[in-house]
Amino acid sequence: MPATDSYREAIRNSLAERAGGALDASAIAEATISTWHQVASQIIPVIGAGGVDVLFNRSLHLMCTAFPWLTIPDDHNHKDNVVLLAIVKERLAVREPDVAAEASYTLLVNFVELLMSMIGESLTERLLSTVWEPPSSELESKS
Amino acid sequence: MNNKVTIRSLATGVPGLDEILGGGLPEYSFNLIVGPPGSGKTTLAHQIMFALATRESPALFFTVLGEPAFKMLRYQQQFSFFDLDKINESIRFVNLSDDFETGNLEQVMARIAHEVKAYSPALVFVDSLRPVMLEARHRSEGAISLQLFIQQLGIELTGWQATTFLIGEYLSECDPHPVLTVADGLLSLDQSVYRNSMVRKMQVQKMRGQATRPGKHTFRITGAGVEIFPAAVIHVDTEDAAPTSGMLRSNKRLTMGVPLLDEMLGGGLPSGYSLLVAGPSGSGKTILATAFLAEGVRLGEPGVIVAFEQTPSQSWMRTLDDMIRAGQIGLINTRSLDLSMDEIVQHLIELIQKMKATRVVIDSLSGFELAIAPTFREDFRESLFRMVTILSSLCVTVLLTSELEDRYVDLRFSPYGSAFLTDAIIVQRYIEVESRLKRVMAVVKVRASNHSNEIRQFEITDDGIVIGEPVLDYEGLLGGRPTRTQALDTAEKGEQ
Repeated sequence: MPATDSYREAIRNSLAERAGGALDASAIAEATISTWHQVASQIIPVIGAGGVDVLFNRSLHLMCTAFPWLTIPDDHNHKDNVVLLAIVKERLAVREPDVAAEASYTLLVNFVELLMSMIGESLTERLLSTVWEPPSSELESKS
Repeated sequence: MNNKVTIRSLATGVPGLDEILGGGLPEYSFNLIVGPPGSGKTTLAHQIMFALATRESPALFFTVLGEPAFKMLRYQQQFSFFDLDKINESIRFVNLSDDFETGNLEQVMARIAHEVKAYSPALVFVDSLRPVMLEARHRSEGAISLQLFIQQLGIELTGWQATTFLIGEYLSECDPHPVLTVADGLLSLDQSVYRNSMVRKMQVQKMRGQATRPGKHTFRITGAGVEIFPAAVIHVDTEDAAPTSGMLRSNKRLTMGVPLLDEMLGGGLPSGYSLLVAGPSGSGKTILATAFLAEGVRLGEPGVIVAFEQTPSQSWMRTLDDMIRAGQIGLINTRSLDLSMDEIVQHLIELIQKMKATRVVIDSLSGFELAIAPTFREDFRESLFRMVTILSSLCVTVLLTSELEDRYVDLRFSPYGSAFLTDAIIVQRYIEVESRLKRVMAVVKVRASNHSNEIRQFEITDDGIVIGEPVLDYEGLLGGRPTRTQALDTAEKGEQ
């Protein structure tokens, strides 16, 4: 289920804000992981870590064609996403900043859209509303 | 001074549930919903939760393994009661599968206690207990038992002033689970498949401090969720009430809308009576019933028809169709084959009350029996008795039609032994006279009233039923093979 353009935009902006607007791949990698943790913290209580892990793996898998360098071979050691996340972070950090930003954005959009296809757009937006909002409101209050 | 505790009753928002619970859900009660997979436990729990949860009294829904939580959310959203606005506002879902997988019952308990403390819910749901029960079976020595777990949970949650529901799976009847003694309320759901039909039933096995409606009640799950059809209760006439209904019955007589028939009935059908019109296929039962309703409409007495056979669009039912379209007659038209009597009675009563109907037609008992799920057919006669009694307590006049086999060796009025249920009976038959099939009609019974004992010919014309002269020259009519009698004999018989 595709997210609306404005919703995608909110994800993109949120990531950019978290990365401090810097054109630095490692900052982008850092922002990706911290955003992911926030997403997970909202979703895990509702659908459980197992469910989140499955959707995260699928989101990553869907990126293989567009971002072959993010292909992580199946490994039974990846019992949870801790290892996977570390690999993703590592690989994002060594890319060109705009490529890393695009991959980071795609990963989160994939996850959100998968979730939407499972539990619906409204419920997804409702559960994740706090993830995308605070940074922008902070920025607004600063400006 | 009255210092006794008053237990507040919560309206569950599930149609019919409060009735069978005996007036709602006691606040702070600790309840169990049990039943096999697919019986509607989670749906029922969700429906209650969405109805009761508010900002002031929020709900916590713990999911423990069972089905993946996102699947549950996915499917439950299909119900109209699933109100997205309440999620995270007054309803929070908490997944316990991680605590459960890694830890033990103590950890699960600690997590529940922690969440309850943090959120102060008025309602707590745990879906489902099955993995908890399985786990308890494989537990090592020294760990807390399942019973203790449930007991602690009960105490903990009641202590936090939460009304609680635990959802469980099978509970074998022969081995009552210890949980049952701890619970204040026990709702068991059940789905039975018999032949080609599936029927869902719900029973309140226990509800402390409340007079629950006994027995199994049928329910249905639709897009709106669970709807229960409480088994209709027959109100026993009290001494005060009896004369009233007697007066209502005797005071007024209804005209049937068929010339001469009122005379045959001794001046019309007494109000509040039930009349059985029995006859073979095509003898004109439905036309008689339509005339009865049309007469009501003419006199400003609304009616209701429960039609199991013909569709209203059929040409001869045009009159009926017109009346239904004009809103003068209420229609319950069903071809479903898995109904319960209670479901039909409930819809019928609602429609009677909505239309303020005084005339009710059930066409026909044969179709009715087919529409009832096979599992209920064994009790058809009993249910019919209940239905007629309930309708009579509503002071409506009921006309039931019944198909009679074209059997001429015996004199029968209905295949269900339902003749005794009704206050009046009209029988229609075919007779063979001079190589023609002719229709005859007779009033067999009108309780506590004089009535004609003539067997009269009748015809069905474009204008409806036209009753003719009594058949005087023949005898053995009800055997279907009348023989001409002596002129003298007939003259004597005709005078009575």
